[in-house]
Amino acid sequence: MSLLDIRNLSVRFGDADAPPVVDGLDLSVDRGEVLAIVGESGSGKSVTMMALMGLIDPPGVVSADRLAFAGQDLLSLKGKQRRRLIGKDLAMVFQDPMTALNPSYTVGYQIEEVLRAHLGLKGRAARERALALLEQVEIPAAASRLDAYPHQLSGGMSQRVAIAMAIAAEPQLLIADEPTTALDVTIQAQIMALLLRLQRERDMGLILITHDLAVVAETARRVCVMYAGQAVEQGEVPAIFEAPTHPYTEALLASVPEHADSRRLATLPGIVPGRYDRPEGCLLSPRCPYARPHCQTRPALMPHARGAVRCFFPRNLAAGEINPLAPGRHRRSPPKGDLHAY
Amino acid sequence: MPTDASTESVLSARDLTRHYHLSRGLFKPGATVRALNGVSFELAAGETLAVVGESGCGKSTLARALTLIEPPTEGSLRIAGTEVAGASKAERRQLRRDVQMVFQNPYASLNPRRKIGDQLAEPLLINTDLSGAERRERVQAMMQQVGLRPEHYQRYPHMFSGGQRQRIALARAMMLNPKVLVADEPTSALDVSIQAQVLNLFMDMQEQFGTAYVFISHNLAVVRHVADQVLVMYLGRPMEMGPAERIYGRPLHPYTQVLLAATPSIRPNPDKPHIPISGELPNPLDPPSGCVFHKRCPHATERCRTEVPVLRPLDERQVACHYAEVTAGTVAAPARAAG
Repeated sequence: MSLLDIRNLSVRFGDADAPPVVDGLDLSVDRGEVLAIVGESGSGKSVTMMALMGLIDPPGVVSADRLAFAGQDLLSLKGKQRRRLIGKDLAMVFQDPMTALNPSYTVGYQIEEVLRAHLGLKGRAARERALALLEQVEIPAAASRLDAYPHQLSGGMSQRVAIAMAIAAEPQLLIADEPTTALDVTIQAQIMALLLRLQRERDMGLILITHDLAVVAETARRVCVMYAGQAVEQGEVPAIFEAPTHPYTEALLASVPEHADSRRLATLPGIVPGRYDRPEGCLLSPRCPYARPHCQTRPALMPHARGAVRCFFPRNLAAGEINPLAPGRHRRSPPKGDLHAY
Repeated sequence: MPTDASTESVLSARDLTRHYHLSRGLFKPGATVRALNGVSFELAAGETLAVVGESGCGKSTLARALTLIEPPTEGSLRIAGTEVAGASKAERRQLRRDVQMVFQNPYASLNPRRKIGDQLAEPLLINTDLSGAERRERVQAMMQQVGLRPEHYQRYPHMFSGGQRQRIALARAMMLNPKVLVADEPTSALDVSIQAQVLNLFMDMQEQFGTAYVFISHNLAVVRHVADQVLVMYLGRPMEMGPAERIYGRPLHPYTQVLLAATPSIRPNPDKPHIPISGELPNPLDPPSGCVFHKRCPHATERCRTEVPVLRPLDERQVACHYAEVTAGTVAAPARAAG
């Protein structure tokens, strides 16, 4: 059984008929697995994880057929039970370490707060545990850092503290939302190595949200590519880099300078559609070089031998590996559980 | 513009240095930040010099010196043959036309209260005697070149996406047909697919106008794609400088090697050396003695702690490391992804 199992997750803001920001997302993560979610800004990757963590406030509405974590149905949990789970078994590291920490409290206090809330540790026990955590995230002279305030730390150090807080209650699943985007190259390499070491040592599930395909290639085992709120491709690393099946994945890979054969970079024309100018059919169709008339209808995410793809005319797939025009999971039943501001 | 016959470079920096003096309170002695320490290079028309380094390495200070926003503390800077330090007011006016800049954040570099057309016309209004109709014509022509539609003339910056705004910023910088364009992280705020569009536009404009680019970036994959020359900096000092293919093919300075090893790749190379890099950038107020990189360098010796390495020519580039010959052999060049 998967550690995390999401079926048909949608997130809307505003009216019930507002276009969804996340649209019918299926996702699963196993214990000890590294899953990457890749997409450009506005693709819904961060909102998905905020929905999972219960961080979507009204007027945001989260709905799903299934939202199960470690055998528990998050949809039916009441507030108090959910708060006991989130932050403990399910923890998150945010993008900007400089704003993720509270500037008014010392680093030690903020780590101890997690230990107090979730593990009931107090006084010296909490202090010792906080020190051990700082040492685990490789902060030099950890004992002297316990009484430091966030403004006294560099970006890399702050991110290490944020990671220490996230792993304090020994989570089974860690979500890292662009954990290295705000950091320098050498510090980025250090933080990624640290996250992967902790993931291996503790056999955690790790969801890595990123826009950097190279980070995915070097760290993840599975990847989910998102575009305008939908998962357009799911697959294994490195297969997805060698033979992407969705035109969007193919275009993303081609636009990376490292991949360029010539001085001109391959580009997708246009920009990601906003929430209110989504096209009628396939969301990529106005920008897609392979679009045909049939693309005026919405494709479903169709499984194949190496993953899944949301395209009627996938790339790098032999005929017979997928039958895109067959009635598959096109029509979805409307989501059942409806949690307002879950 | 009189050009110096002895050099064909449009931009020539010699030992460019910029120090900032900080007051640390009434009773403490002031401190000096050596933000830029002895940077020299020559840049010819139509060429791109990429400046690479992490935050605090002095790349933005260099940009401010090159664009005459701040005078260098020491050293000489010649733009199109004119020495900046002794330039008269009229000469400086001309120099400012010749060097233009594109900033990192297109959300902050455009005036939110002025129409795009007016912002693009402003350089012409200030620097030329063109009539309103002529200015408008030039602006429309430039807008077309950077892929904006004529109706965008009347719009405000908030109506554009990040990629479009960076096109506008580039158009504004190119309005006066500058000899040198300094671009400070021009694509780091953009998404991958948009970054490719904007990089292509930068290269198209360079081809068309023959502008020399100083391209500042922390992204080594982008730099490799656009650069002819690469300057690697650390804590205000040049570490290694030379032709891009030499530096990427066989990095000699340990810091360059570390940077390349730390950069993730779409096609992970199992043979890529893993160079552990520990520590963070030292405090610029209290830089390490000797080689500024010695505290994080895997090859550092006693000599590195005491003696500042000078930039010296080696293998068709310049490198500031006592042991460049030795360390070069320890790292295999990361193979360029095949076709």
